[in-house]
Amino acid sequence: MKVKEIMIKDVFTLSPGMNAKEALDLLAEKKISGLPVVDENKKLVGMFTEKEVLARILPTYVEAVGKFIYEENPKAVKQKVISFASFTVEQIMRKNVVTVNEDATLCEVAHVILTQKARRLPVVNKDSGMVGIVLRGDVIKHLFAEYI
Amino acid sequence: MKNILSRFILLFFISLSLGFFSYSSGLNFHQSMSIGIFSISILGTLFFWSFRLSFAFLGTAILMMTRTIDLEHLIRFASLEVILFLIGMMIIIGLLKDEGFFAWIVSLILRIPNLTAKKFVFSISVFSALLACAVDEVTSIIFMVAAILEICDYFEVDPLPFIIISVLATNIGSAATVLGNPIGILIASKAGLTFEDFIFKSFPVAFISLFVVIAIVMFWYRKSMDKLDAHIKEFGSNEMLIKLISIPAEKSLKISLAIFAGTLIVISFHHRLEILWKLDLNTVLLVMPLFSSGIIMIWRRAKARDFIEKDVEWWTLLFFLLLFAQAGTLKYTGATDVLAQRIVGITGHSPHILTGAILWMSTIGSSLLDNVVLVAAFIPIVQGFQSLNLNLQPLWWALLLGGCFGGNITVVGSTANIVALGILEKEKRIHINFFRWFWIGLTVGVITTCIAWLLLVTLPIYH
Repeated sequence: MKVKEIMIKDVFTLSPGMNAKEALDLLAEKKISGLPVVDENKKLVGMFTEKEVLARILPTYVEAVGKFIYEENPKAVKQKVISFASFTVEQIMRKNVVTVNEDATLCEVAHVILTQKARRLPVVNKDSGMVGIVLRGDVIKHLFAEYI
Repeated sequence: MKNILSRFILLFFISLSLGFFSYSSGLNFHQSMSIGIFSISILGTLFFWSFRLSFAFLGTAILMMTRTIDLEHLIRFASLEVILFLIGMMIIIGLLKDEGFFAWIVSLILRIPNLTAKKFVFSISVFSALLACAVDEVTSIIFMVAAILEICDYFEVDPLPFIIISVLATNIGSAATVLGNPIGILIASKAGLTFEDFIFKSFPVAFISLFVVIAIVMFWYRKSMDKLDAHIKEFGSNEMLIKLISIPAEKSLKISLAIFAGTLIVISFHHRLEILWKLDLNTVLLVMPLFSSGIIMIWRRAKARDFIEKDVEWWTLLFFLLLFAQAGTLKYTGATDVLAQRIVGITGHSPHILTGAILWMSTIGSSLLDNVVLVAAFIPIVQGFQSLNLNLQPLWWALLLGGCFGGNITVVGSTANIVALGILEKEKRIHINFFRWFWIGLTVGVITTCIAWLLLVTLPIYH
């Protein structure tokens, strides 16, 4: 079985120039944690996820400082939350996105999901155009269905 | 792509020219080859910082293939003792970070009572210098920047002047002990200097320089300090900052601190212990971090691999290892002896002039280059002066102090500068232009180097 047979084809996408706050509202509205970003030629250019949003509003040195507990919300976070609407999706999104080709086998998709610690993978065609998205749960479901 | 290609061409053109120039000015093939290859590594760091290691790999391979050096000598010159010392220290630092030691330092700065701008500038300068000489400059600057940004955010003032102050103090503090900067341990290892030597000879210079710099920056940034004072009055005290972060008071933090303190104490008395146990000079200094990190890995065995794989900066250490080997090749071929003779030919046999020359060359060089690259190149030259019956003591200190103080002059002068401004750019989208740094950096760099020069030339302890 190929990934194109199980992927979700009707995927909601974001454009790079869209306002980041509006994109975040869209995630909340659709109750999902991330959406792919495509350009005018439907070419995948990034992923806009809640993780990237958190990384943007928390200080960048949080990981480097080591173990501590925030007892109060720092003022910088408040300022960054307020100014979040001044960013575009392109400024927040992760540009380095792992993808799978639409003709990849389910085992290959499972392999990529496992090694890249991904929950979902955008599926692209030969021209890097986005054609769908495949979820980790769907891969497991179809792998089991194929043999049991 | 075009830009990268032109830098590649420039790198090879300069390196080839240096090689040919050396050959035509009387050096033999292997001496010219070692100079040309070493310049590839230097220019590689200058033009291609993010993948500088590839040039060190290529250069070392060419040195071996052209029989400029053999494997036995390459390994001998790679200064494994320095690399192992740095690995040990990185593991100890990794543990301290994991256990919240640095966050605790940040919280101490946030809790400065009755905060005023003067108190803030004084505290961040002293904290920066002390932390740099106890751990290392790159580690310490991350935590100092974190504390400064929190305070400046709270009082809504521009953090840039205070971050510059912290970086200037960090670079000065890094010269104070053997732990502050990789060039410290490198020079200690090659010159046979001990921790005590650093405490008696470089710490006082750094200490005096630090207080002069505090006076300079308080004048230079008086407007920014006035603004901070006004905002402190307007916002009230730093009550929210005092309780902003807390560190879980866990037993493991206390054990980590005990290991760190124990390491520092043993390192402080390493020379006495070496005499007592009849060990070679600097044996205890170089192996103590390994001993402590061995204990850490037994204690935290579930994380032992993480300490090695994540906390040790293999990329940097491999670059240092090959760089030291290439610098050793300069000595092995005799190229640096020729250079040493020519430098003495220009400066004469006057130790004062020679000390000044090494100090200023080191200062200016490290304002443009990574100071480890510069010092690695200079060590065999200084060793070459020994055959000319010159006293090397003031020259080693000149090399160390110039290498650390010179880092203050330009925005790319030291790794601490680059790290601090990188965080500022990510956090605040503030990009500092070359000259906003340069004028204060040049002032501080020139004045502190003059202080070092004066003390090195006049005080008998350096001779």
